[in-house]
Amino acid sequence: MSAAALVRADGVAVAYPGGPPVLTGVTFELREGERVAVLGPNGGGKTTLFRAVLGELRPAAGALAASARRAAVPQTERSRLDFPVSASDVALMGTIPGRPWWRRPSRADRAAARAALARVGLADRAERTYGELSGGQRQRVLIARAIVQDAGVLLLDEPFSGLDTTSAAALERLLGELAGEGRGVLIATHDLDQARGWDRVLCLNGRQLAFGDPADVLTPEVLAATYGGAIVTLPGTDPDAPRRAILPPHHHDHHHDHHHDRRGSAR
Amino acid sequence: MLDPFQLPFVQRAVLELLPLAVIAGTLGCWIVLRGLAFPAHGAAAAAFPGLVLADGLGFAAPLGGFGAALLFALAVGRLAARRGERHDTLTALVLVAALALGIVLASDVFHSAASVESLLFGSLLAIGPADVRLAAAAALVALAASWLLGTRWLASGFDPAAARTLGVRSPWPDVVLLALVALAAVAVLSAVGALLATALLVVPAATTRLLSDRVAAWQLTTIALAAIEGVAGIWLAVELNAPPGATIAVIAGAVFALAALGRSAA
Repeated sequence: MSAAALVRADGVAVAYPGGPPVLTGVTFELREGERVAVLGPNGGGKTTLFRAVLGELRPAAGALAASARRAAVPQTERSRLDFPVSASDVALMGTIPGRPWWRRPSRADRAAARAALARVGLADRAERTYGELSGGQRQRVLIARAIVQDAGVLLLDEPFSGLDTTSAAALERLLGELAGEGRGVLIATHDLDQARGWDRVLCLNGRQLAFGDPADVLTPEVLAATYGGAIVTLPGTDPDAPRRAILPPHHHDHHHDHHHDRRGSAR
Repeated sequence: MLDPFQLPFVQRAVLELLPLAVIAGTLGCWIVLRGLAFPAHGAAAAAFPGLVLADGLGFAAPLGGFGAALLFALAVGRLAARRGERHDTLTALVLVAALALGIVLASDVFHSAASVESLLFGSLLAIGPADVRLAAAAALVALAASWLLGTRWLASGFDPAAARTLGVRSPWPDVVLLALVALAAVAVLSAVGALLATALLVVPAATTRLLSDRVAAWQLTTIALAAIEGVAGIWLAVELNAPPGATIAVIAGAVFALAALGRSAA
């Protein structure tokens, strides 16, 4: 084993206070310089796993150890886009853990925020209002905040959703650079092609279904188990590399669907 | 036309209003940004029975008012932290209970019915030096706390879930904010009363909300607006022989409505 483990989970089960475990049997390692894709349906336990790795939820069973500081990079829609804050104000929030609660940000804190924004390629946008930035730029501001936190482990919650191809490519490049600096990156995603390009894949659906190299893990069987069969193979030009896609989760309830079906068959 | 400002009691009213404008600007912006408008209104209402009780029992009225407002603000804060957004019903219940209790105490227990009106609607033209001192002290505390804790108040409002992992785990910054809301509610009480407190604590900051995209600029604009609205209200009240607290509230409401109309037209 070459690189040191930043996060190590061994038989971890996670439950919300007073409830049964919503995620069981999680055993994986995140090592320095690795990008690990976390796959699973909505409600499959990705967010729960992140909250456990962040230390917000204590494992109900098993051992979960982290040797580096962890920082969450949430979806940007979760933050208040109408807030009167600049990009550097948001990056500066990353300095909060480093000082007592009554202390103001120091000159060094502000310099760290500026440096982190430059690091993610937003030096020229530092004084722009956060809510007016594009989705990809906002995502990078939140990554800058994690860099300011001096996080060795970044947990990104579907960072590519809603990004255009240019922004997605820039983000992909940035994640590669962060891993190159020896950080560990956990990325919740629905994009199998992207996951294929990273170092490891962790599949969750209430429990851990697989963990390992993309080539070993991303098999039709594992994916069917992970997504409960909601996978279709798209017709591609290359018969050796069929494109698989995950159907978006249904938001209709069954009642509504039946109603729809009846009308369809009556016609 | 500026004759009213020659009168000593009008000058004292202006002197009271300037620190209150500072409170309206510094703290009002945080109240609006953090969604504390209703709790702020409730804290002012809770201060009312506290004042009556303290007055009736013969100890410093602002202390009684602050105690009651603080109790209310911290209770609402705890509830908000525990059950998310569903604390407004309880806030409303306690608000009504506080008003009812205050009126019963004032009229039936201490027979001080004469002062009920001034406690509910303020008596800006009968301000004493102690009121001005309280307002000035509260303004200084609000400025200092906003300067020191602003980043944290911003962070925990910006994305509460990430704020927890950012290590904003200390409850103290938010406790201080709620305590300041209680202090501000008591400080504005002598000027605009328990029922009109939000005319200073919420309305000016809500009016300037969309004019500024940084907190500091927003606060400065709000201080200026609250001071102008306040002084204009005092002048109009004297000229028209109207109650000053209500006049300020009407002006603040009208400016807010105009600003909202202007924004929707733009």
